[in-house]
Order: sequence, then structure tokens, then C-alpha cells
Amino acid sequence: MADALQRGYSAASDLFIEMEAAQYTKTGQAACGDDVRFMTVEKENRHLVALSDGLGSGVKANVLATMTTSMAIKFLESNVPMLEAVEIIMDSLPVCEVRKIGYATFSLFDFRLGGKARISEMGNPGYIHLRGTDEISPLRDEQIVSSHWPDREVRKCEADFRSGDRIILCSDGVTQSGLGVRKDMKFGWRRSGVLKFAQERIAADPDISARDLSAAIAHEALYLAPGGCKDDISCVVCYLRHPRVMRVLTGPPFYKEHDADYARKATLGFDHVVICGGTTANIMERELGVKVKVKLSDMRTSGGLPPIGTMEGVGIATEGILTLGRVLSALEQMRPPEREPAAARAILERMMRHDRIEFVIGTKVNESHQDPNVPQDLELRRSVVKRIAAALEKNYRKKVTVDYY
Amino acid sequence: MEKVKVEICCGTACYLLGAANMMDLEDQLPAEWRGRVEVEARTCLELCEKENLGGAPYVRINDTEIMAQATPEKLTARIGELLTEAE
Repeated sequence: MADALQRGYSAASDLFIEMEAAQYTKTGQAACGDDVRFMTVEKENRHLVALSDGLGSGVKANVLATMTTSMAIKFLESNVPMLEAVEIIMDSLPVCEVRKIGYATFSLFDFRLGGKARISEMGNPGYIHLRGTDEISPLRDEQIVSSHWPDREVRKCEADFRSGDRIILCSDGVTQSGLGVRKDMKFGWRRSGVLKFAQERIAADPDISARDLSAAIAHEALYLAPGGCKDDISCVVCYLRHPRVMRVLTGPPFYKEHDADYARKATLGFDHVVICGGTTANIMERELGVKVKVKLSDMRTSGGLPPIGTMEGVGIATEGILTLGRVLSALEQMRPPEREPAAARAILERMMRHDRIEFVIGTKVNESHQDPNVPQDLELRRSVVKRIAAALEKNYRKKVTVDYY
Repeated sequence: MEKVKVEICCGTACYLLGAANMMDLEDQLPAEWRGRVEVEARTCLELCEKENLGGAPYVRINDTEIMAQATPEKLTARIGELLTEAE
């Protein structure tokens, strides 16, 4: 049990790639004309991203972009030669009645942990590779042209993608933002503007997550074009680093004599620990000698879930199964944390900030939950956590471990 | 005069069986009691698993007295009695 956890934790020294995207849809359109797709090929320790900008905007562009990313990521996964993949994609895209062409740009990122990153681009702004705030040039950079489509050049690069590096992919909605609107940006924000902005953000916050950096770039692009989003905006950031580990402890251990050992798992640092469950919090209070404090204002504004407590130096403490149930539904439906009641939101926000989420589950069943007077079906902690783990891995590309006590 | 201390259990069973209605108890108390009652939330008082205590939701008053099947009305009435006794 403890060994399993130890192994899980020592594996935290392995590298983790955080891949996140932020998007805004062109004002007035029902669908985003850009599409982003991620894939992890577990057995090869390989991580893939496809970003495509479909011709035009709205639903039609969305169809083109989605077809492109779906095909491209499948071809990448299957190691189909790039030229062949591009030709199949181009031959398959429906032709626009207005423009008489079928067209969607793409940027593809293919990285195997411990190896080099391969980036292929057609029609999108050139990728940005940053090591800290330094821009890194590719190891190899070549152009390939299809005989079927001589006007479509594909750029193929290989990059030395190391721990701490970031790669940024954008649609032209980002680099052309501000174009025609701002006098100081005759040609829009441009790739150079995105680069400078990313460098400034990283200088101010060297550990900024891919999630926050992609959101900041997309938001800046939106901000630079006052009066609404002029084109679909998409920004992807891939960030290679040591994983940020968070631990969720929930439920009392089956054997009381394991309480002390269990409580020691909560010593990972305040921002990285969540205690879920009243009895669990009581065990922590007893074993670690730290009281749970609940602010009165949090009692009043807990939004339908019991309030959050804090254990100084340990972590936050929430109620157990109702809160985890709410976290589960938000993760499964991919609802943004900010719309959730305070306790669920606090857990979700922590989950989003971390890469590896370790659950430590005490398996003792709380008999009071089986009381027929309780007006709600309460699922078993174990099954809720299993589903949370699945949603975190599938929808948010997190690494999850579950250990039982 | 000492304050009346009220600890509301926010464990799952208590919360579902009525503690949720007591989260804003302090706002519901008469204005003249202000400053004389201290309301706190507790992660779990671990009373629901003990038999013969009367049933959730539980509230602990002045560290020793347990109120079972607590409601805002019952609790307000009891706080009133304790405040009167203390006067």
C-alpha cells in the first residue's frame, strides 16, 4: 500500500507534457472555425496535437477544420508519411462553393517523451519554441510540396524539446488580431507580437502553466481587436516539465491503526492537498495536530455544498461524497470550475493546476450514509473516485493514481 | 457574559438531513443576540454513527450539549433559553 504510493510519487520525477488550448469563436458565429485535437498514445509514450483553421468561418469552417484534425491526428498516430497524409486530407476536404477550393490549414505536433518533437505546418503561423524566454530554432527545417497540390507547401521541423521548454501553436486569428483596427498594428499582432508577449509572461512567471499561457495569449488576441472577435482565435501551448503533483485524501482507512500512516500522505504542501470528508478531516486533525477552520462567510456562500475548511500548512478540507459527486459531474461534462459551488470549485481549480493527481482512498464505509432517511442516493466513494479518475484522464489528459487504505 | 457556542455538523448525513438550512443561522438570529452567539461549522462531529443519539442533523452547544434532529427553530429557541439563563 505505502509502497505503491511511494512508487507513484517517485514516478513524479518523470517528465510530463502539459498540452492546453484556448479558443474564442468569431463574433456572430455559432461554431468555431478552428479545431484542436489532442491524443496520447500511451504505449509509445507519445503525445500528439493537431490544430486546424478551416476556410471561412462558422459551421462550414468548423467541418473543414474538424475533418482535418481528425484525419491528421490519426495519420500521425499511424506514422503515415506527411506528404501522403496531406494529399489524402486535401483530396478529402469538401470544396467551398464560393471559393471553389477545399482548404484548411494545420499545425501538427508529435512528441515522444525522451525524444525529439516533430512539427508540421501548412498555412498556419509558424510555431514558437521557447526555452525560458529564449526562442529556439529547429534542428531540422524543410519544405515539402505535393505534386497533387503544388501551391500547398508543408513545413516539416524537428525540435530539441527539453524539460522546461514550451511550444506554441496558433491560428491566424491570433497573429492577425488588431489588423485593420489598430493604427499601431498595421499587419496585426503578428507572430513577433505573440512571441514578445509570451516571453514577457514567462519572464513574469517562469512556471506559468500551458493552460494559463494559452489562455493569456488567446485573451490578449481578443483584447487587441476591440468590438468583437474578428476571426476564430486558437492558441495551443505544450509545456514539458516535471509534473505538479496533487493529492486527494478521502475516507477513513479500513483499519484504524493505519490512520497515522494515512495522515502522513497529507504532507505535500498546502496548495497540493485536498482532504475530502468530515471523518477524514477529523483524522487529520487528530494525527497532524492541525485544526480545520471554516470561515463564517464561507458557510453562507457555499452554494449548495457544505463549506470549505482550511487546515493551516496541510490543505483544504471539504465534505466528502456530495462534493466529489459534484466534481465528478463537472469533469464528465467538462463544465468550467468557476460555475461550481465553492467546495467543488476549489477542488476543480486545484486539479486543473496539477498534472498528476494522486487519490488516497480510505475504504471504510460510512454507515450513516446508508440511513434510509437520507434524501439522496449516496454512491460509494470508491466508485465516484474511479469515475473522476477516468474523466481526468480522458477529458483533461491528467495522470491519475489511486491507492487504497 | 460568556457567549453561547454553537457547532453545526457539516458531515454528509447532517448536511443532507437539514444542516444545509442552518448555514446562515447567524443572520437569522434576533439582532439583540448579536455578539452573544458564536456559530461555527464543523467538518463532522462523528455523532451520526453512534446509536441512540436521536438522529442527524446534529448540533453541539457549549461543547457538551448535543442537539439531535436540529432545525433552525429548535436551535434558536434553545439559544434563547441559554441566553436567558445567563442573564
